[in-house]
Amino acid sequence: MDWKEIAYMDGKVENILAEVLQISITMVSDGLSMKDINTWDSLKHMELIVTLEQNFGIEFTFDDIVAMQSVREIKRVLRERSNVS
Amino acid sequence: MNLSGKNVIVTGGVRGLGRAIVNKLVGKGALITVFDLDKVGLTNLHEDQPEVNCLLCDISDYEQVVKATDTYHEEHGSATVLINNAGILHSEPLLRLTQTGLERHQVASWNRVLAADLSSVFFMTACVVEKMVSSRTKGVVVNISSVSAAGNVGQSAYSAAKAGVNALTAVWAKELGPMGIRSIAVAPGFTETESTKRAVSEAVLSETVKRVPLRRLAKPDEIAQGVISVIENDFFNGKVFQLDGGLIL
Repeated sequence: MDWKEIAYMDGKVENILAEVLQISITMVSDGLSMKDINTWDSLKHMELIVTLEQNFGIEFTFDDIVAMQSVREIKRVLRERSNVS
Repeated sequence: MNLSGKNVIVTGGVRGLGRAIVNKLVGKGALITVFDLDKVGLTNLHEDQPEVNCLLCDISDYEQVVKATDTYHEEHGSATVLINNAGILHSEPLLRLTQTGLERHQVASWNRVLAADLSSVFFMTACVVEKMVSSRTKGVVVNISSVSAAGNVGQSAYSAAKAGVNALTAVWAKELGPMGIRSIAVAPGFTETESTKRAVSEAVLSETVKRVPLRRLAKPDEIAQGVISVIENDFFNGKVFQLDGGLIL
């Protein structure tokens, strides 16, 4: 996977986050985490996980789900799952 | 869902409706574990059906539920199906006329029924579903409700508990559905069990039968078949499956 594909994947993640959390895409940055947004609670987190799984055709482990509490971590886990360095 | 080889927990599976459900599940090839507080009953069940695992547990006691479910998970891993069947049927009016005046519903019996019929469902589901979620196991929670959830005369505590069970069923369907865990309730009408005979007078039962279009009580086997049907139907979720012979229309 080259940088274009990585950028495409990151963009897709950001769009999904904005849509699920019902926030502006401009608010989505790598530093954004669960503790920053009220709407990103544990129920919303599970909805986000399921949406990501459906969009990327993968199933996260429970350890992944616990780790994916920021945009940066979501992208990291997705890259690992997609074997992208 | 094909039940063959699936880990299934049935609470209160020693007798009555619970036992009928266990018998149906055995026929489906499920790997069954019964949680019950009747030690002798569990021993007899295991002797009759050695393929059924048994765990002694008072499911109205949170500490016991934590301990028993931990034991279960260590031995079997995550359950796929939890059937919250255990409970007590209790009839008592809000006010009883005595020779000296009015007597209020006993608080002790209110607490006992709510603990056995509502808190137990919450305790078991929290502990079992936690493992399902952490192991990403998709499955089903089945809550045995009752037509009493609509409000039966003389059953304040029991009706309140079963209405609570219906509410939990809906909440969990919404919360757990995205994780592939369904939550459903089965609400039997009056059923031919020992607990019904103990808690409901002959006169009330006779009057009830007259109001059932089919003019009879349900057989435990018929209710158990309904439970199996909703488990096997992967799109049945968040709803209460009424099996009352047409009593409530």
